[in-house]
Amino acid sequence: MEELTGTAAAAARFDVGSGVAEALLRQVARLLEALARDPGFADVIDLRSLPMHDADRASLRERLGNGEIDASFDLVGKTRITETACAGVWWVRHANSDDCAVLEQIVVARVPALLLAHPADIEGAARRLATELGAPTHRETIHD
Amino acid sequence: MELLDFARGPALAFGLVVFVVGSLWRLAGVLLLPRMRDLSPARDGAPPAPLAALRTVLRRMWPRKEFAQATLFPTINSYVFHLGLALVVFGLAPHILFIRSLTGLTWPGLPSNLVYGVGVITLASLFAALARRLGHPVLRLLSHSGDYVSWLLTTLPVVTGLLATSHLGARYETLLAIHILSISALLVWFPFGKLMHAVLFVFSRGATGMRFSHRGVNV
Amino acid sequence: MTETMQLGDMLRRRGISRRALLKYASYMASLMALPPSVAGAMAEGLAKARRQAVIWLSFQECTGCTESLTRSFSPSLEELIFDFISLDYHHTLQAASGEAAEAARRQSMRENQSKYLVVVDGSVPTADGGVYSMIAGRTNMDVLAETVEHAAAVIAVGTCASFGGLPEADPNPTGAVPITKLVTGKPVINIPGCPPLPQAMAGTLTHFLSFGTLPELDALHRPRAFFGETIHDRCYRRSFYERGLFAKSFDDDGARQGWCLYELGCKGPVTYNACASLKWNGAVSFPIQSGHGCIGCSEPRFWDRGGLYKPLSAGTADVRKLIGIAAVAGVALGAGAAALARQRRASTSATEQ
Repeated sequence: MEELTGTAAAAARFDVGSGVAEALLRQVARLLEALARDPGFADVIDLRSLPMHDADRASLRERLGNGEIDASFDLVGKTRITETACAGVWWVRHANSDDCAVLEQIVVARVPALLLAHPADIEGAARRLATELGAPTHRETIHD
Repeated sequence: MELLDFARGPALAFGLVVFVVGSLWRLAGVLLLPRMRDLSPARDGAPPAPLAALRTVLRRMWPRKEFAQATLFPTINSYVFHLGLALVVFGLAPHILFIRSLTGLTWPGLPSNLVYGVGVITLASLFAALARRLGHPVLRLLSHSGDYVSWLLTTLPVVTGLLATSHLGARYETLLAIHILSISALLVWFPFGKLMHAVLFVFSRGATGMRFSHRGVNV
Repeated sequence: MTETMQLGDMLRRRGISRRALLKYASYMASLMALPPSVAGAMAEGLAKARRQAVIWLSFQECTGCTESLTRSFSPSLEELIFDFISLDYHHTLQAASGEAAEAARRQSMRENQSKYLVVVDGSVPTADGGVYSMIAGRTNMDVLAETVEHAAAVIAVGTCASFGGLPEADPNPTGAVPITKLVTGKPVINIPGCPPLPQAMAGTLTHFLSFGTLPELDALHRPRAFFGETIHDRCYRRSFYERGLFAKSFDDDGARQGWCLYELGCKGPVTYNACASLKWNGAVSFPIQSGHGCIGCSEPRFWDRGGLYKPLSAGTADVRKLIGIAAVAGVALGAGAAALARQRRASTSATEQ
């Protein structure tokens, strides 16, 4: 997260306050209610596209708190997926290789799509494992 | 963007040139006219001519007691939009930059939000002036197209300026271009209509003051 | 080269999982102001696509556009685009040179007819038959015409290719023209900027790859996702502009407090680009944040707009001499009019003078 430079800090001082953080929390609450009613529900709030100062974002993060899961993976920069203190609300932070946040999202779902193993990846892994073990799978193909 | 380039470039240059040619033409033309010299001696106690001129210019900033009541609304309303225009033109930072680019002079600006408020009041006042002109039978009789053109070309910069600064109605570069074009239009018209009073009023009031105070009358 | 394997499989072999592709798609969707729900579809689209053949033509350019996209000192998500495309011809990046390079271009055109993308950076000179920029003995005009004939689409990258840029600036000795002036009958996208944001270039290519269509364009053929708003619209110093707090000179008190740079010539209000939100060099900073006004580098003819430091409210023409002549002319006319009046008066009246 970029630290507030002198100029940005000056600009932040003149802000009216974290009105945006409040509004976002209300939206999260609404989405969470929808998830509670329908476990198949999923929605994403893109934080980067919203006019928010770093102070707003930090206060929102604080309000949501931390949950039990903390996952990360690397693809040209670290992606960190943390469960917040509210079950079903996840905070996803994509960073580039300088660890600057390039995308931040709040995901309201049983589990964010990024944590799920993709069917194509599973298929590939199944074939690989079968080959390694030398055991025939019920669907041997010539592509192995 | 092409409209903005045209507005800031050839259009503004043309407006400024016509403004300078026209204003100096009229001013020089008036000041170099033959003058009627009063060969009679000055009345006792008559002030020197320049002082008399200045006094009359200042005295006529407010109507005489006898007429004050009847002309109260147009007097006050005119002051509102004159002062408003002055505050907007000389108080807004981008305008000061424009004047600086022409003369090199600069001074501190006013808060932009304040100028915006003054602009809105000025616009309302200008519309009130038009309403009076259209509503008052004598004024309507006396008014001709030149008066309405002068009103329009004074009001357009105020309207377009407010629209541009609020980013209302079109893309910003278009709004800014229209605002600058409206200034060019005003500059072109200025020397040839009643707007020239801005320069000439000093001389006309002064001349009257000199003539009458020579005979001992304070007008 | 034509690849028959789908991107998804090819990337998995290189250790880029479908999950990673989803991260990339989420990032791109956000950049292009698409709803986050589109990321899944975008990732699927990318996985099913074949490697896109791209021919990159470089004309009167400085290679800044390529530099912006390749970011030589730190890998970025944008650079992944090079895994998704088959860059069959690029002066700076390809291994082959000379005749071999030209042969590679022609082979790609043959094998991918009506499916390859042409990316162009640099303007095309047209004066004197176009001799001011020649590659492999042929004028840029020739090479452009030949290459775009069977292309799927043309992407003009950088202000030079989009609008003419620096070569086209006054007095334009080479007769430089933008790509849109020379290419008809093919869809052309402009991605201007000097240089353009890497996200704009990569995002547009990704959009084409995943969805097979070009993104929504504005009147100047620029993708609205990156060029739909002005710098001013997203500038973090906007509150100072609104309140009239302007820096008067570089590094003065106001400048150090981060005040608006309007008086120092900032063209932010009339410049459409995403620098204020995406920023540069991995979202570190952008010109205004570093204390310099926007120069308007993604707009046509920004070099000839009266100077980088002339504020928007000042005129661009140099009127000093004109005003001087106008003043003399005005006084002369006035004196002439007064002289005529005196003459008329002397000839018609016999009263006091």
